[in-house]
Amino acid sequence: MNTRGPVNLSTRLLVVPGVALVAFVFLAPFLLLVAMSFWSQPAGSLLIDPTPTLKNYERIFSDAYYLRGLSRTLWLSTATVALSLILGFPVAFWIVRRAGRLRRLVTALMLLPMVCGALLPTLGLVNLLAPLGIINGTLKELGLIDKAIPLLGTQTGILIGLVQAFLPLMVLPLIAVLDRLPHSLEEAAMSLGARPVQVWWRIVLPLAAPGVLAGSVLVFCAALTSFVTPQILGQGKIATFAAMTWQQASLVLDWPFAAALAMVMLGLMVGLGALMLALSRVGRSE
Amino acid sequence: MRRNLLTGFTALVVLFTVAPLLVVVFSSFDDGKFFRFPPRELSLRWFRAAFDSAEYRSSLLNSTVVGLLATAISVTFGTAAALGLQRSVLKSRAVLEAVLLAPLTLPLVIWAIALLQIYAWLGIGGTLSGLVLAHATFTLPFSVRVMLATCSAIDPGLELAARSLGARPWQAFARITLPLAFPGLATSALLSFFISFNDVIVSTFIAGSSWMTFPVRLYSQLRGQGIDPTTLAIGTMVIASILLVVMLTEIFSRRALRT
Repeated sequence: MNTRGPVNLSTRLLVVPGVALVAFVFLAPFLLLVAMSFWSQPAGSLLIDPTPTLKNYERIFSDAYYLRGLSRTLWLSTATVALSLILGFPVAFWIVRRAGRLRRLVTALMLLPMVCGALLPTLGLVNLLAPLGIINGTLKELGLIDKAIPLLGTQTGILIGLVQAFLPLMVLPLIAVLDRLPHSLEEAAMSLGARPVQVWWRIVLPLAAPGVLAGSVLVFCAALTSFVTPQILGQGKIATFAAMTWQQASLVLDWPFAAALAMVMLGLMVGLGALMLALSRVGRSE
Repeated sequence: MRRNLLTGFTALVVLFTVAPLLVVVFSSFDDGKFFRFPPRELSLRWFRAAFDSAEYRSSLLNSTVVGLLATAISVTFGTAAALGLQRSVLKSRAVLEAVLLAPLTLPLVIWAIALLQIYAWLGIGGTLSGLVLAHATFTLPFSVRVMLATCSAIDPGLELAARSLGARPWQAFARITLPLAFPGLATSALLSFFISFNDVIVSTFIAGSSWMTFPVRLYSQLRGQGIDPTTLAIGTMVIASILLVVMLTEIFSRRALRT
């Protein structure tokens, strides 16, 4: 047991490289970002004035351009959550209750876009949504439309891409929560005379609420901060909040303002997370 | 009836989820200069073009170099950290673990903005070392997680037994612990490499044009000029290799469970 001391010390040192890497490349830049958002950059100069100020935040919440960008992004994220829920819930239910031997395969297929990263599915979506793309081409050949429906470069196009990219984030927590739901509950309700709609509305949905909540938060945050999908499917015409932040940081080079925009995004996420946590506490205590 | 409705709906949603990838794969085999679906004339023309193009070759090479270096750092640091966390009774274990997993919590866009600024100050924006450090950092949590799970499954008694039979510490480590940890090492290496290889956001923000990786090139092309079928061919190869790796890890992990 005498060897314990030195062994402990040397094994403890094994943590150092990893922690140092995270500290220097992750934590330090993040702290700088927080500080930077309270600094300012005089117009027409690239020098940064480190006197603490709330100027950047005031500008975001008073300039119509950024407020519009913010509301557009919030709307897109909310719509993504709603659509993911509508599409994801029946799929999760099917995977848990009816998939049988197909379960692993279907779950894997649903996760595929997430595994492949943001870019490859978007490449396919551009093909599908373009004016000369598959959807418009097929509709034209069928004689249903004369002029191409604009999908690429519109909010509809972005929304399709966001739902496609983040659906797995909704389906996974739903599968987890439905898995724990005993089938006998629904059978009991049915045998007591409840109609299927009632069973869904009064048994399945309330019991699945924690999964719905978790999935919604995950999808919302992912959509709120997504950058690649809206940029490509919006063809750079529709500025989301993340795109505005990037613009300020690497094109306008107003770093303090870019930092403040990033902090607003982070603040929205943290606020939403806290709200959801509070909601789920209330739900549990009832 | 209602059952069939649900099954049909699920099938449609699954189709919606995988359709974009299917489109990439199928259209990459089409002979035409523009995108057509379904492909009318099959050919490997765009695959040949992909291998011939110096532009794509260099960006794929960049991605591979960055991916391999970042993976090496991520797996080494991650394994060391997991061992350190596992083997000593640390009061601060929870804090250290939280620090090591921290890069997962922040959306990449926000972190990339921060990196862009600090890299410009340090003068390593657009350099290979800056890019590798960033990739190593956001893949590290995955290595740490996989290696923590791996290490906790290895009985420390085995190494002690080897020591008591006369093995030196490094011998016991190299001949007992390392082989047992191999599936975990392989998994974390593959995971790190693919996450690094697929990254668009961080690389776009900090690397710019000097160390252009394949996803960055594809991204700037998609935003600007539309689709070059060559990228479809490369995309198909990337998808194929991802599927291959996923299947291999699945087979490995099943085999590991059986023995």
